[in-house]
Amino acid sequence: MYLQGQNGLMATWREGFRSRALSAWIIAALMVGFYIDLYWFDHFQPLAEAVGLRNKWYLYGALYCLFMVGGAVYHLRRHGNSRYNQARIATNVGVQVLLAFLLPFVMPLFGGKEFYFSYFWPLKYDLLLPDTIWQLPLYLAIYGLVGSLLLAPVMAFFFGKRWYCSWVCGCGGLANTYGDPWRHLTSTSTRAWRFEQVAIHVVLGLVVFMTGVMGIKALIGHDHPGFVVFADHTKSFYGFLVGSVLSGVVGTGLYPLLGPRVWCRNFCPMAALLGLVQKLGRFRIAVKDDMCISCGNCSAYCEMGIDVRSYAQSNQSFTRAACVGCGMCAHVCPRGVLRLENRFDAQGDKDKQHIVVLDF
Amino acid sequence: MHHVIIGNGVAGIEAAIALRRRHEDARITLVSEESEHFFSRTALMYILAGQLTHRDTEPYERDLYARMGFTRVRARAIGVDPAARSVRLAGDLAPLSYDRLLIASGSRPRPAPWPGGDLPGIGTFVTHQDLAWLERELHGGPGRGGAAPAADAHLSASTDDSPYRQRPVARTLRGSPPQNPMVIGGGLIGIEVIETMLAAGLKPRFVIREEFFWPMAIDAAESAWIQERLREHGVDVLTATQIERFEGDGAVERAVLDSGQTVPCDLCVVAIGVMPNTDWLADSGIERDPGGGIVVGPDLRSSAPGVYAAGDCASVTWFNGSRRPEQLWYTSRDQGRVAAAAMSGDDVAYKRGHWYNSAKLIDIEYTTAGLVDFGYDDLWSWFHEERGAVRSTTRIVCRPGEGDQARVVGFNMLGRRWDHTVLIRWIAERRSLSWVLDHLSEARFDTELVPPLRIPPEARRAPDAAAR
Ligand SMILES: Cc1cc2nc3c(=O)[nH]c(=O)nc-3n(C[C@H](O)[C@H](O)[C@H](O)COP(=O)(O)OP(=O)(O)OC[C@H]3O[C@@H](n4cnc5c(N)ncnc54)[C@H](O)[C@@H]3O)c2cc1C
Ligand code: SF4
Repeated sequence: MYLQGQNGLMATWREGFRSRALSAWIIAALMVGFYIDLYWFDHFQPLAEAVGLRNKWYLYGALYCLFMVGGAVYHLRRHGNSRYNQARIATNVGVQVLLAFLLPFVMPLFGGKEFYFSYFWPLKYDLLLPDTIWQLPLYLAIYGLVGSLLLAPVMAFFFGKRWYCSWVCGCGGLANTYGDPWRHLTSTSTRAWRFEQVAIHVVLGLVVFMTGVMGIKALIGHDHPGFVVFADHTKSFYGFLVGSVLSGVVGTGLYPLLGPRVWCRNFCPMAALLGLVQKLGRFRIAVKDDMCISCGNCSAYCEMGIDVRSYAQSNQSFTRAACVGCGMCAHVCPRGVLRLENRFDAQGDKDKQHIVVLDF
Repeated sequence: MHHVIIGNGVAGIEAAIALRRRHEDARITLVSEESEHFFSRTALMYILAGQLTHRDTEPYERDLYARMGFTRVRARAIGVDPAARSVRLAGDLAPLSYDRLLIASGSRPRPAPWPGGDLPGIGTFVTHQDLAWLERELHGGPGRGGAAPAADAHLSASTDDSPYRQRPVARTLRGSPPQNPMVIGGGLIGIEVIETMLAAGLKPRFVIREEFFWPMAIDAAESAWIQERLREHGVDVLTATQIERFEGDGAVERAVLDSGQTVPCDLCVVAIGVMPNTDWLADSGIERDPGGGIVVGPDLRSSAPGVYAAGDCASVTWFNGSRRPEQLWYTSRDQGRVAAAAMSGDDVAYKRGHWYNSAKLIDIEYTTAGLVDFGYDDLWSWFHEERGAVRSTTRIVCRPGEGDQARVVGFNMLGRRWDHTVLIRWIAERRSLSWVLDHLSEARFDTELVPPLRIPPEARRAPDAAAR
């Protein structure tokens, strides 16, 4: 039986590991330690070889899948009474295990190059870098280009960025499974919001800059060896800062203290880009007039720190660039005030159809 | 101009905000005994369970008072002197004088009327202080989200008969957690407390005076499902049962039922309704109805000059001419705003729209709109129970009329989400049953991917007159 109301949330602030007790700090410390070792040391290499996973990155991939599957079980025990959550989490875990682990793992066995079908530029920035494109078989190069520049934004226009951030992406997938116990920890404060606005667009700017520099390098690199050095430095600096520190150590390690979407909310360039498209597109959260009791569940359980209640209590349907469409606000609302929707027809309440809250 | 508002609940704060928008420089003072900040009373159960923190339940950021230039007084008002235009405060605080006064003092819980009803371990669930008491009984204290800020700051300016005083905790006296909790009262607050007790791992006993749960809002068939669900969760539901008395040595230990049976009971939450929180006005000469509600006109003005009332404590006129308070979140909010306009001299009237509400009964959602009351003999219901991937019940209440051409006047829906604004529009448009059944999917508000409600053709037929 599908029930739409929340369950499984009730004990949140009575469980230490979910409410920043010592156990939460220990989990965070272990995760941060793990990422530091993974990125900058080689202790996991022998282990990876011992279990037949070739190198530590495949070992990481396997662990990632394991945490997602475990987290998915936890998530669905808590919110699995929602059909949206069932479909979303199952798809997300399936994509991760198949497209982001098994396929890339076996492709080299058949003489191919490993390729991650579930990632696009600017998250997987290689896909637009000439250096990479030349090395890819034509069909993969085209897949990368079309996926990044056409498919992802077009889908975001019609369905919101959720199609990627909450159904496909591995980072979002981990946040919504292993990270689920901590979704209420994302700050709703104005300060956190200001930080997000600056940080995420700075990273987007950086990746565009880096991609541009790498493109110019491909054009003029022969004649300007100095520029080649600059371009390669730019790329490795971006890889270090954004790829390792922000997405791994900070973004994932600190789930138990800052909530599970630290990376997605503040730093992910893909989220920034699709968010801009989402603002212009068809996705919105609809609010039922005069039914909100201002209880605060929606805001508290928003993993992106959106103050959903402020819209709900003022009868404003809305689209926020940050929203990843996890659907939890609608799920936890005890009065059924909210609904995620994609507007394909303009019938119904005309005035409300066109409310767009400009806040990015 | 000095506006004084007694009450920092939704009626009080919304009035204050509306007044500030109108009058940039007016002095606005909010008197509240219960809490430092405006909070959502409807979310008390979530703090109790550990689902939300106190701050989560505050609809505005805490700097609202500073930003809006509201003065706060954390004290109990103990009387109004309309002739002198002043409010008396408890403790040794000087009286507050006002130009306009808004009374938005809300409801207080109806106390246990039975012998032994004041034993420790028996309490209510309406105020922050009730919450603090029940947190200590159920869990030994507040969750890791913390207690309310400055929870006791009002004690130096309070009185013994205040509803904002914490009760003694039986768990502390006894030295052990409760094992046989009980909730009395088959209504919304009762079932919310049941839900939090279940979440705390307890199997409560639910004592309901009526024949079935919540007869004020749902009928026997609908209620049967809720009771079934309660029993599945392990709740011992006792309907048509009353309490004779409570017994215990120092704290409650047993309840004696009207059947003569004695049941163990070491924690009891009494949820048998609320009443206007206006006892403190007894000698103020402000007219109150027999239930204690402050009698107001359409502009929410009371019988005393310059004194207005809004929210749970105001006795307003209903659509059928009767007079009583509306104890609802959104009506309190609207009344607060109307009162602010009236206090500013506008020619306004508070108008009640169609009745609607929604709730969550354990894990079953409930939406109602229009007339579903059983006091009207000529009304009859079209009823459909769905038992597939989704379980739901749909009841459409009609006025007399032939078959499915009957006019729809109300909806009572369980198990699915509906857009009450659409349902209300249909009622206003005087739609027929057959039209409504054809268009029902337009009022859907289910979350995505929930399969739509399909009404099989044989179920569409309206019952014939004899079967109604
Ligand atoms: C557990 C629970 C669940 C509920 N759920 C729902 C729901 O789902 N939907 C719904 O529509 N409604 C619900 N309600 C009802 C809703 O909360 C009330 O209708 C609403 O809060 C009334 O607001 P108010 O501003 O009139 O009064 P209140 O919120 O009661 O505020 C009263 C204020 O007055 C102050 N005060 C009172 N007396 C004095 C005094 N003598 N001196 C100084 N200050 C004083 C208090 O400090 C307080 O700030 C629920 C109520 C409870 C208790
Ligand atoms: S929208 Fe729902 S969850 Fe959010 S504050 Fe309103 S009633 Fe609560």
